[in-house]
Amino acid sequence: MSAMSISTARLSAATYAGRLAGAASRMAGRGTGASIRGKVMLKLDPRALGKLLVDKRIAIVSGTNGKTTTTHFLAAALRESLGPEADRLVHNADGANLHHGLASALSEHPEADIAILESDERVVGDLIKLGRPEVLVLLNFSRDQLDRHHEIKSLGRSWRAALSAAGTDGPVVVANADEPLVVWAALAAKEVVWVDTSTTWTQDSSLCPECDANLIRVQPDPRAGQDADWYCSGCGLARPKGDYRVESGTIVDRTQHVWDPQLGVPGRFNINNAACALAAAELMGVEPRTALIGMRKVTSPAGRFATAQFGTTTARLLLAKNPAGWAEALPLAQSATVVLAIDSAAADGRDVSWLWDVDYERLAGRTVIATGRRAQDLAVRLRYAEVDYRCIPDLADALAGHPEPVDVIATYTPFQRLRKMGRV
Amino acid sequence: MNKRVEVVLIYQSLLGLYGDRGNATVLMRRLAWRGYEPVLTAVEPGQPLPDTGDVYLLGGGEDAAQVSAVRALKTDGGLYRAVDRGAAVLAVCAGYQIVGNNFTVGYQDEVISGLGLLDVTTTRGPVRAVGEIISRWNGRDGNDQWLTGFENHGGYTRLGRGVKPLATVEIGVGNCNDGTEGAVAGTVIGTYPHGPILARNPALADHILGLALGHELAPLEHSEINKLRRQRLARVRRSYARSR
Repeated sequence: MSAMSISTARLSAATYAGRLAGAASRMAGRGTGASIRGKVMLKLDPRALGKLLVDKRIAIVSGTNGKTTTTHFLAAALRESLGPEADRLVHNADGANLHHGLASALSEHPEADIAILESDERVVGDLIKLGRPEVLVLLNFSRDQLDRHHEIKSLGRSWRAALSAAGTDGPVVVANADEPLVVWAALAAKEVVWVDTSTTWTQDSSLCPECDANLIRVQPDPRAGQDADWYCSGCGLARPKGDYRVESGTIVDRTQHVWDPQLGVPGRFNINNAACALAAAELMGVEPRTALIGMRKVTSPAGRFATAQFGTTTARLLLAKNPAGWAEALPLAQSATVVLAIDSAAADGRDVSWLWDVDYERLAGRTVIATGRRAQDLAVRLRYAEVDYRCIPDLADALAGHPEPVDVIATYTPFQRLRKMGRV
Repeated sequence: MNKRVEVVLIYQSLLGLYGDRGNATVLMRRLAWRGYEPVLTAVEPGQPLPDTGDVYLLGGGEDAAQVSAVRALKTDGGLYRAVDRGAAVLAVCAGYQIVGNNFTVGYQDEVISGLGLLDVTTTRGPVRAVGEIISRWNGRDGNDQWLTGFENHGGYTRLGRGVKPLATVEIGVGNCNDGTEGAVAGTVIGTYPHGPILARNPALADHILGLALGHELAPLEHSEINKLRRQRLARVRRSYARSR
């Protein structure tokens, strides 16, 4: 056999073995089997991910918050433009975004020639190297799972290094102009499309990523026509001018056309995500009008914002994994009773100190139910916030018997359990 | 009696990475619940640090932020004057390192001189200390003696003669795997655990307020905090026993 066919045979065998393992896991009731499928594949063929990425048009989405929703937007935009050929597209829709999750998703649709993939922040560099993506969307950077990541800046450094190494073979980057660390990383790319999102979370970028001097922030003042702005007090790094921008709930594209997004998912941050997806879709050859028709069909990407039934209780599920995410999710939770589910499994971050960076004080006057394995930590936080609460650690008990619909905000692990319990 | 108590939160933008602002939230509430009039002053680099405060708080942050913070604090000088006046200081993690004599940053182990408020020295350790930590507060007994938190630091700290360790490690790394945790000299306390530490250890919060006010405070009973402490101590000890 030639080297090429041995390589292909190995990938086929690995894919087959992975499928068997995945099916066994699924039948044993351990979830979708996607993760174990990918793990088995990569064990048998460590180069499987690279092989699966060959000969595809690829777009990658990464960042701390909004990856899954933005990837769903972008995939929906491309599907809309592909019409009856929509099955040419592969997408890791369930949000499994590490090496094995990506390999698993790609192996399920080996015939697809377009891949729209969300990527964990740590995998971006490998994907740039292995897949030579056309487009890379970089959304934002904030503190998240610090027990694992330690330094936010080191992730930005790895993105920058991968983009520099790829040079002219690298992707066109769609980058959030309001995030200094994203801007600094993106500047290493051959070409950048900037999206002005007016992001308001600034707590994770006080020093210049280039020179460590203080960053100067200019607060937006709509009456004076002043947008939010930032620049470095030491070097030339400054907020680039947006090619696309989000303005009063609309998206202004590079031709200055104003689009009313009319999305099927709530929240100002999702308009930011949609603006990034719109820019990426255009780079992939999809007109904004077509892209938006597709994006509006996204209503509950991987269970986010889904409404589910828990016995007689109707609940809407919101995911928040870190202080920046909570700052966006808390204003969305408008129900009289709000359920907050906290855990500290590996995927949630084992240190729950971040609870004290979230403005739970704003829930004063509402009925709050603290649940999840770290409900007691939240209870103490709420006591100091002088918010009335009930502590019901068991998720099912916490959701039982609410006569009015409730909003639930959960960290990653309880969120996945709630999806399973509510079948969404 | 003067009811006004000023808590100064130092450079949240640099030293606020791990929820340590919660230490201020805890002190403010515990003062208010006792009828004091707490005032929170949050200071950022470039703004003058008041030297009239009663308690000063420093939290955790990344290397570059640490260097920037120590420079700004030295230039300002307000913290030295406050300590001379007898104000209490709680310095956590990166904050603990910068109130010491010196510490190192980056892969080149560049030595940065600290504020010298605690006679301790920090250098990069062999492995990063990440995980739940339980220690025993030296000189305390009863339930209050157990200090619980989450440590996450690459630097290892060695104590000089001018300080005493705050606590003795039961589970975790602490200063440098030598069985000690934190350091105390006069009204200045340095320690590694987040949690934030004062949220998980209300007796330590009241001790710091006592240092600032010059007298002990009567305890406050909060069942949810006691329950959290029992739960944390039990779970951490159980998972430690299982890992042995």
